[in-house]
Amino acid sequence: MLLQLNNIFKWVNSGGQRIFLLKDINLQVEEGEFISVMGPSGSGKSTLLNVIGMLDTFDEGEYHFLDESVHTLKEKHRANLYKEYIGFVFQSYHLLDELTVQENLEMPLLYKKYKGAERKAMVADMLDRFNIVGKKDLFPAQLSGGQQQLVGVARALIANPKLILADEPTGNLNSQQSEEIMELFKKLNQEDGVTIIQVTHSEKNAAYGSRIVNLLDGRKV
Amino acid sequence: MFKSYLKIAWRNLLKNKAHSSINIGGLALGFSVAMFIGLWIHDEKSFNTNFKNHEHIAQVLMNKTDNGETRTRYNHPYPLADELRRVYSDDFKYVAMSSFPGDNVLSFKEKNLNMHGAFMEKDVLRMFSFNMLKGSLDALNDSNAIVISASTAQTLFGNEDPLGQAMRLNNDAVVTVKGVFEELPNNANVFESLAAFSETKKLDFIAPWNLYVSMYDWVRTARDRKLWDNNSYLVFVEIYNQSAMQSINQKIEKVLYDNVSEATKRSEPQIFLHPMKDWHLKSSFKNGVSSGGAIQYVRMFGIIGVFVLLLACINFMNLSTARAQKRAKEVGVRKTVGSNKNQLIRQFLLESLVVTFCAFLLACALVVLLLPAFNQLADKQLVFPFAKPLFWSVGLGLILITSLLAGSYPALYLSSFRPVKVLKGTVRPGKSTVSFRKALVVVQFTVSIILVSGTIVVNQQIQHSKDRPTGYDKNNLIMVEKTTDEFEGKYNALRDALQKSEAVLEMAESSSPMTEVWHSNGGYEWEGKNPDFTTNIVSFYVSHDYGKTVDWEIKEGRDFRRDFASDSTAYVLNEAAIAYMGLENPIGKTIRWYDGEHQVIGVVKNLLTESPFEPVKPAIYSIDYNETNWINLKLTPEKNLAHSLEQIEVELAKFAPDVPIDYQFVDDAFGNKFKTEERMRKLSGIFSVLAILISCLGLFGLATFMAERRTKEIGIRKIMGASIPNLLKMLSKDFVLLILLSGLVAIPVAYYFMQQWLENYTYHIKIPWWVFGLAILCVLLVSLFTVSYQVVRAAIINPVNSLRTE
Repeated sequence: MLLQLNNIFKWVNSGGQRIFLLKDINLQVEEGEFISVMGPSGSGKSTLLNVIGMLDTFDEGEYHFLDESVHTLKEKHRANLYKEYIGFVFQSYHLLDELTVQENLEMPLLYKKYKGAERKAMVADMLDRFNIVGKKDLFPAQLSGGQQQLVGVARALIANPKLILADEPTGNLNSQQSEEIMELFKKLNQEDGVTIIQVTHSEKNAAYGSRIVNLLDGRKV
Repeated sequence: MFKSYLKIAWRNLLKNKAHSSINIGGLALGFSVAMFIGLWIHDEKSFNTNFKNHEHIAQVLMNKTDNGETRTRYNHPYPLADELRRVYSDDFKYVAMSSFPGDNVLSFKEKNLNMHGAFMEKDVLRMFSFNMLKGSLDALNDSNAIVISASTAQTLFGNEDPLGQAMRLNNDAVVTVKGVFEELPNNANVFESLAAFSETKKLDFIAPWNLYVSMYDWVRTARDRKLWDNNSYLVFVEIYNQSAMQSINQKIEKVLYDNVSEATKRSEPQIFLHPMKDWHLKSSFKNGVSSGGAIQYVRMFGIIGVFVLLLACINFMNLSTARAQKRAKEVGVRKTVGSNKNQLIRQFLLESLVVTFCAFLLACALVVLLLPAFNQLADKQLVFPFAKPLFWSVGLGLILITSLLAGSYPALYLSSFRPVKVLKGTVRPGKSTVSFRKALVVVQFTVSIILVSGTIVVNQQIQHSKDRPTGYDKNNLIMVEKTTDEFEGKYNALRDALQKSEAVLEMAESSSPMTEVWHSNGGYEWEGKNPDFTTNIVSFYVSHDYGKTVDWEIKEGRDFRRDFASDSTAYVLNEAAIAYMGLENPIGKTIRWYDGEHQVIGVVKNLLTESPFEPVKPAIYSIDYNETNWINLKLTPEKNLAHSLEQIEVELAKFAPDVPIDYQFVDDAFGNKFKTEERMRKLSGIFSVLAILISCLGLFGLATFMAERRTKEIGIRKIMGASIPNLLKMLSKDFVLLILLSGLVAIPVAYYFMQQWLENYTYHIKIPWWVFGLAILCVLLVSLFTVSYQVVRAAIINPVNSLRTE
């Protein structure tokens, strides 16, 4: 088992009322799963993803990741945990405009204290695997949306995470680009055994996954 | 339209209270500094301009060259004035001699008061256009007359009519008050040229020259025997034609040379006119040519004022541009509803004008509030020029220029936004904006670092000179001037009485006070002297107990002793004199002077009696009880100070009942020599702090801007695993680099200016390298502290929030 959420609640207080963003979420994810989270806007998909990614906190419930109880961990410890095991992919790619493709890929490694030679090897390997060696010196603005997201996925994978969290990874892409990214996810999941949780609006993309979690108003349905 | 702009401007001010207060406050600080400096410079420049004929008045100075070194002096021989009057009557409207000003005792009934004044020839009243409240400008024609200042009249006579009152001068002559003149203002000083001798006391009275001649034998001798080689008098002139100053200089150049003795001719005395307008600002001479003086401080502070104002303007630009994103939407909306670029520029300029105006008002209030403190600091009596149109017009000009200067860049930048982009919220300032603003910050910190390192250097120089060995013990040493001859011939009795009172450990008399040099002589001869070498050596006439009283350090030989009768003609030399004369094994050597042969019995370590910034001059100490003017007293350290002083006054009064006793502590008098420098240190310290403060306000703006701009980047980096320390390092790095760059620019500039300043002092420090390191470190720490708020805030923000915007 990779992670387990037990009775997770998250709320905000607004005008004297408690508005639930997540309500009694229970979820167990095994290693090697490919889960699609679906639901209308505002149903809590992204919030759930952020909670799983430990970027956001929750107000009640338990969260176990591998053998750690996330809800009892200190901020710093938690950060170390997600740094080591989780990679993120965003709808709007979130590449740094001032850095080249190669430098964008290298950035997470810098924060994980890899040695210079090691970093070079890992970046080279990623450029190879994703077939973007020719683009390594270009800046994000010089790439198409699909290519940018390719770099985004490569960056998420570079430190060999156990889990990829993708928040509408194809939201800004056309259908052909979407398909390529989804194929890539499928390949990563099946061949490399990477666990993936993606948020999506599209039934078609959701079908790539092995399991679908539906949310409505912060509740699993 | 105008009204709408004004309304928006006003509401913007109110809405962003933090931003507005930083903006207005920063600018107001800049304005106040500029105002203070402006007032100060105006005052400095106005010195002596209230003398009606100031453009025609000059003091006669003299250059003398001895052994290749030219010195400028202001004391002249008696016949010079007559000669100038007689031969050059076409050029000079008036020529007037004056004694050196000093404290004299005026006695009226039971009152004995020390009053500051001089004996002057009668034309001075017309020349300096004294405003006679009572009596006429001819008041000094009578040789038993005296004219006094209004405050002196008040002190002496109260409400009685001073005219015609008789009183005693120095317990000697009887004089009658023939006139009362209006007090000279603070920025007027007839004896400005002696300001180096801290001769800044107010003029309390003027006595007629003829009285001087009749009261003092040596003056009468100088007159009757036409002594051309005895330089003891000041000479002032008023010329007919202001533009003729140069040509008169050429004409009179040789007057002295043509009349002096052969011996004096060797120093090539050359006289010239020092115009009144230069008395205050250009009073220093180096090697016979004008080397500035107060004008240097005027220039320096002028530059500082301009720069501090510039810093404030830069701030304004930085802060306004930093807020661009918040105003972007407004620009977009205005443009889509039909505003064109020019209208927007006008709007933003108007806003800048509003802010500047508020800042100006605030600055006026600050200046009014702080003026007393500033006056104390700068030793001035400035008043806020409420009623001066000049001030307000300059102020108005300043407001307009500043608002234009500070507002133009933000106005141009803001008005150039493209509406579609800003309304979509995708406008991001380009690289050029960022580098322009970084350049501004570099300018700010360059100025700050220059000021800080300058302050440190001034401080070091003062400390260095203060730590300089004085060769005598200033502590518990007081000096009293013998203003009358009642003390004459009572030395031993006085010494016994004082020592018996136990308030005083030791007493001695001397010709000069401990902190000045009053006499110097030439014409010394000794074995092995180069015949072409013209000597000029400082003379101290002292009593036997001088060495013990001031605790000088004998290096070789011995001190004066009463039991050796021959000591009455013996010399004690200081080390500088030994070096100057090139004597080896000086003890027992013979030095010849006009009055005979003298044996060297001792060598003392140099006593620092003049400027602490100059090398000690060669000096000869000899015994002469008739030439002494000062009583030096070493107090018993264990005794209560106030009690001792009281006892001393009682004892002194027994000997000279009609003389007011004014004592001076030697260490105070010594400390006074640092007044200018101390003031400079305080002012530059304050300006540095203000410059840093203003710069930091700007930096705060830049940090805010940066934090906004890089929110997304920070979010991404954080999700990619950057820790908070990582981010702090990354965000601060830019600022550190900017400051280091500023340091690089500042070091040579500061070095150059401080070296220039130090050149004014012969005894000065070498600028140590750590000064710049320390200055940069100071600025660095303060600025890191300033940016830390924004940087930390940016670094700890949850990336989920910062990335949600899309």
